[in-house]
Amino acid sequence: MDFRYTTEQEMYRQAIREWLTKNLEPRARAIEEAEDGIPDDITAGMAELGMFGVTIPEEYGGMPLPDDERLIYAMITVHEIARADLSMSTPVYTLLTIGWSYIVNLYGTDELKQELLPAVAAGKAFAGINTTEPGGGSDLAAIKTIAPWNEEKQAYVMNGEKAYVSGPKECEKWGPPSGHCTLVKTDPEQSYKGFTFIWVPAHLPGISYTTYNDMGRMGLSTGGWIYKDVELPKKYVLGEEGKGFYVNMDGFNAARVLVAAACLGGAEKALEISGEYTAQRKTFGKPLGKWEGISFEMVDDWMRLDMLKLNLLRGAWMIGQEHTSPGTFGRKEINKVISTCKCLSPTLGHDIARHGMMYHGAFGYTKETPLEMFLRGVVSYEVGAEGGLMIMRGIIARDEWGETHNPFKD
Amino acid sequence: MDIVVCVKTNPDLQMVRVKNREAVVEAVPYKLGDLDKNALETAIQLRDAAGGTITAVSVAEGNRKIRETIKEALAMGADSAAVVDDPALAGADPAAVAAVLAAAVKKLPGCDLVLFGEGSTDNYSGQVGPRVAELLGVPQVGFARKVEAVDGAVRCERSMDEMIETLEVALPAAVTVVSEINEPRIPSLMHIMKAKSKPVEEWTLADLGVDAGAVAARREIVSNLAEEQDRKHVLFEGSAAEQADAFVNALIKEGVLGR
Repeated sequence: MDFRYTTEQEMYRQAIREWLTKNLEPRARAIEEAEDGIPDDITAGMAELGMFGVTIPEEYGGMPLPDDERLIYAMITVHEIARADLSMSTPVYTLLTIGWSYIVNLYGTDELKQELLPAVAAGKAFAGINTTEPGGGSDLAAIKTIAPWNEEKQAYVMNGEKAYVSGPKECEKWGPPSGHCTLVKTDPEQSYKGFTFIWVPAHLPGISYTTYNDMGRMGLSTGGWIYKDVELPKKYVLGEEGKGFYVNMDGFNAARVLVAAACLGGAEKALEISGEYTAQRKTFGKPLGKWEGISFEMVDDWMRLDMLKLNLLRGAWMIGQEHTSPGTFGRKEINKVISTCKCLSPTLGHDIARHGMMYHGAFGYTKETPLEMFLRGVVSYEVGAEGGLMIMRGIIARDEWGETHNPFKD
Repeated sequence: MDIVVCVKTNPDLQMVRVKNREAVVEAVPYKLGDLDKNALETAIQLRDAAGGTITAVSVAEGNRKIRETIKEALAMGADSAAVVDDPALAGADPAAVAAVLAAAVKKLPGCDLVLFGEGSTDNYSGQVGPRVAELLGVPQVGFARKVEAVDGAVRCERSMDEMIETLEVALPAAVTVVSEINEPRIPSLMHIMKAKSKPVEEWTLADLGVDAGAVAARREIVSNLAEEQDRKHVLFEGSAAEQADAFVNALIKEGVLGR
């Protein structure tokens, strides 16, 4: 057993921290305020260092990494990006793109991988996730977007609407092959067994989108899609037709590792900012850090952060082991660890941001510190996105105690 | 041109805390020296322009995690590496390190140019480069801010107080470089992974034919304490313009400005 990163993982972490500190951190506020996406030179620099290729094999333009370590490299990537861009825009852009590429690589056809993954690794395509509908997101079984197979057209014909989806403007900016892993019903008569998980390129005829005005994370767009008779060839199916719900859930576990990494990376940085401020700011003749009302709260936050970082590393490692040696852990064990991270990390990020703002006093309410920006950004993962917090609790209840505690089935 | 870059592993100075004026280095990660990276970047640019090979050479001075950090040099672009590790090197001083490096350079199949940072990031004695040049019997240029390959020689530029000096030195030679010579590249993940398969020679003093007694420290460190700096707590009064004037005058008086 070894709790340390390998030499290569640690070298990579140090290398990207150096680059991100120099190139991304000074521009985080400008990215937030411009509301114009992540600048091209940032995504180009990230691609050059290999950040977009961590979940993609070398044959599709990615990095020559051991498959069981890919998610750990992805976690390191997102954690470090989140430290540099506390608005959460760049970390979320990246975690979606590399997280869902991980699933495309696991479940996609060779044709789809050839089409999509080299562009992702080069930093020139966006990949996202698209499940939620105007009628709800947590209750996935109730989704209404349908895509039954049409023999004449030799395609799944998709009709419906999706909502609260990250990346519509990013798809437009990059053009093909950008798009989303999307959950649809290919057999509308069936319940769970009617689902298929399928790649939907954003530029196919019949697709249009609207955008929302979010509270934070302003460098990444959010919107809704409308699909009218969109034709999806078979090559875009992820996994098997009718097994989409399970492929989607597998993808969520990987994505939740990275969501937690984004929250914890930002939280770590925010706590460092508070540490520095409370060391130098004096009240009544002594530094703020000497007041236990402040330092003990910081300690409580630090303890939660440290435990979650360790648990997340465990989760990323478990998924890697399961994907390279199926049956090592099983779905339930992984679900519990990952749901714990996804459930607790956004709230911890929010708490650390809010506590830090309190230590900064009125200064904390200004845009002179990045804490308010982190608070607005991290809330996106508290309210939902990649599974709401109550859904995470429901998963743990179901997988720890079984059907007597399963809230998803009567 | 076959180039040897001598590199040293240093504690990450940003992570070092000072407690009771002493540096606390427990649990501090080690990394390649900043100035050594400038030397390595110089070597990479020379090799990419003129061909040849780069070997990074490092001497373990105590427990410096040399095998891990040498990979950083390989990831940046060195073709191979050689590390010298021996219990006798635990308290090595600059003279001993230079003796070992010179022996290592001689053991390598060929070397046209030996590059160094102008000093190490931690102790910064600046002695090792010139000492190695002396031991190898090759000409040395110190503090170069530009190094170019010309036929059978290198042309180096360095800043003197009032002028820029350009020197041409026939190979083989040794050159130390300053930080402004270049911006060292940050290794990509692809290069980090490829570094795993690059060859690393591991030598002891016996492999180099160096006697353990020859590397015994001749230098005794009497004390190594952080400088104490008392703050002056000067407050300027008046309007913003008056305060600015007073502040500038104070800086001139301190010799910080207007030299």
